[in-house]
Amino acid sequence: MENPLSMHALFHIGPVPITEPVVVTWGIMLFLGLGSAWATRRLTMVPGKLQAVLEMFVTVIDDQIRDTMQRDPSPFRVLIGTIFLYVFIANSSAIIPGIEPPTAMIETDAALALIVLAATIFYGIRYQGLRGYLSAFAEPSWVMIPLNVIEQITRTFSLIVRLFGNVMSGVFVVGIILSLAGFLVPIPLMALDLLTGTVQAYIFAILATVFIGAAMGEH
Amino acid sequence: MTSDLIQIVSILAAAIAVSFGAIGPALAEGRAVAAAMDAIARQPEAAGTLSRTLFVGLAMIETMAIYTLVIALLVLFANPFV
Amino acid sequence: MTIDWWTLGLQAVNAFVLLWILSHFLFRPVADMIAKRQEAATKELDAAHAARTEAEAALTDAKAQVDAVVAKRAGMLEQAQSEAERDRQKALDAARREADKLRTDARAEAARRKAAAEAGMRTEASELALNIAGRLLDRLPASARAAGFIDGLAEAVARLPQSTRDGIGTEGPVPVRAAVELSGDELEALNARLAQVLGRGVALSVTVDPSLIAGLELDAPHAIVRNHFRADLDRVQEELFRDV
Repeated sequence: MENPLSMHALFHIGPVPITEPVVVTWGIMLFLGLGSAWATRRLTMVPGKLQAVLEMFVTVIDDQIRDTMQRDPSPFRVLIGTIFLYVFIANSSAIIPGIEPPTAMIETDAALALIVLAATIFYGIRYQGLRGYLSAFAEPSWVMIPLNVIEQITRTFSLIVRLFGNVMSGVFVVGIILSLAGFLVPIPLMALDLLTGTVQAYIFAILATVFIGAAMGEH
Repeated sequence: MTSDLIQIVSILAAAIAVSFGAIGPALAEGRAVAAAMDAIARQPEAAGTLSRTLFVGLAMIETMAIYTLVIALLVLFANPFV
Repeated sequence: MTIDWWTLGLQAVNAFVLLWILSHFLFRPVADMIAKRQEAATKELDAAHAARTEAEAALTDAKAQVDAVVAKRAGMLEQAQSEAERDRQKALDAARREADKLRTDARAEAARRKAAAEAGMRTEASELALNIAGRLLDRLPASARAAGFIDGLAEAVARLPQSTRDGIGTEGPVPVRAAVELSGDELEALNARLAQVLGRGVALSVTVDPSLIAGLELDAPHAIVRNHFRADLDRVQEELFRDV
C-alpha cells in the first residue's frame, strides 16, 4: 500500500519542488477567488438569493466570533472566515476523483496552524502591548511560565494533528476500502468524511478564535 | 531477521495502540451522547445549541482516537527503526 | 516521516494570498453591504420614528382641537339652555303677572258688580221701605204725619247745646220743612212747644216737602234738627251700608 504520509514532487520550478497539495491549493484559491468575485460582482441593497446566502455566511461568522470573543468581530472576520472556507473546501475536495485534500498533508495543516499562532501573537501584542502579552504568560504566577509556553506549542501541535489525522485517516480508510471493494461501498465513508471535514473546519476556526481571543486577554 | 522482527513488533504496536486508543474515546463519546440526550429531554427548546455543542465535543473526543491512529500510521509507514 | 519545508512555506504563502483574495473579493464587499443596509435601515427607522412622533403630535393637536370644539359646543349649549330658561322664566313671569292682573281685575270687577248690585238692592229696599212707609202713612190721618213729631222735634231742639239754641231764630224766620201742610192747630202747637223749649217765641217759615214722608225738620244756623221718617230711613240705610 502506498504510504499516506509521503509526497512526491509533481514538477519543479527552479529549485522549488511543487507538490500535489500546493497545486490543489492553487486550484482552490482560483475557485474561491473567481467564485467570490463573480458572486459579489453585483451587490444591491435588496439582496437576491446568492447575496442573501453570502450575507448570512458573513453574519454567522460574525456571530460566532462575537459569541466566542465578546468583541467586535470586524478585525478577525477575514482571518477566521478564510480559515474556515479554505479548510472546508479543502476537506470537501476529497469527493473529486483523483484529488487528495491538501489538508490530508501535514504541511498544509502546519502552515495554517502557524498562521493561527502568528495571529495569536500579533493580536496579543497589538491589544495588550508586548509587556502585557508576555506578562500574561506569568499568570497566575511565574511558576506557570514554562507550562504556558509549552501550552502554546502543544495546542498549536494538537491543532495540526487534529486536522491532519481526521482528514488523512478519512482518505486512508477510503483508500483501504477502495482496494477491497471499489463499487458503491466507500460512499457512506465518503459521506462521513464530508461531515467530519465540515465539523473539523468549524472546530479549526473556532479554536483559532478562542486562541486569539485568549491572547488578547480580558477587555 | 531483525528487520522482520521490527516490522512484526511495529504492526503489533499499531494494532494495540489503535485498539486501546479507541476504548477511551468510545466510552467518552457514549457518556457525552447520553448526557446530551438527557439534556435535550429536559430542555427540548435548547436542542439546537446542545446538538451543535455535542458535535463539536464529539469531534474533540474523536481527536484522541485520531492521535492514536496517527501514531499507528507513523509506526507503520514512518518507522524510524526500519 | 519527513516534512517538506518547501511545501509548508508555499502553503503558508498560499494561505496569505487566499486571505487577501477573500478579503478583497468576498468579505469586505459583503460586510460593507451589510453595514450600508444597516445604516439605511437605521436611517429609515429614525425617519419612521420621526414621522411617528410627528403623527402623534398631530394627533394630539387634533385631539386638543376636538376637545376645544366639544367644550365650545357644550358652552354654547349651556348658554342657549340658560337663555331659553331665562326666556321661559320671563314668559312665565309675564304670563303669571298677566294672569294675576286678570284675576285681580276680575275680582275687582266682581266686587264692583257685587257692590253695585248690593247698592241697587239697598236702594230698591229703601225705596221699597219708603213706599211701604208712605202707603202705611197714607192710611193714617194727615195730622199723624206732623202732629206726632212736634214733641220729638221740640225734645231734639232741647237736646241741642245752649249756644245753638240761642242762635235759633236770630237770623229771621226759622225754616221748617214739613211732610204735609201744617194745619193751624199744628202750627200753633209747634210754635208753643218751640217757645217752651227755647224760652222765647220764634218766627217759623214752614215749607212742605213730601219727600220727608212724615215728620218735621228744623234748620238752625249751626244745626239741622231732623225728626222725620226720611231721616230715620236714611239712618237705617246707613246702618245697613255700614254693616256691609
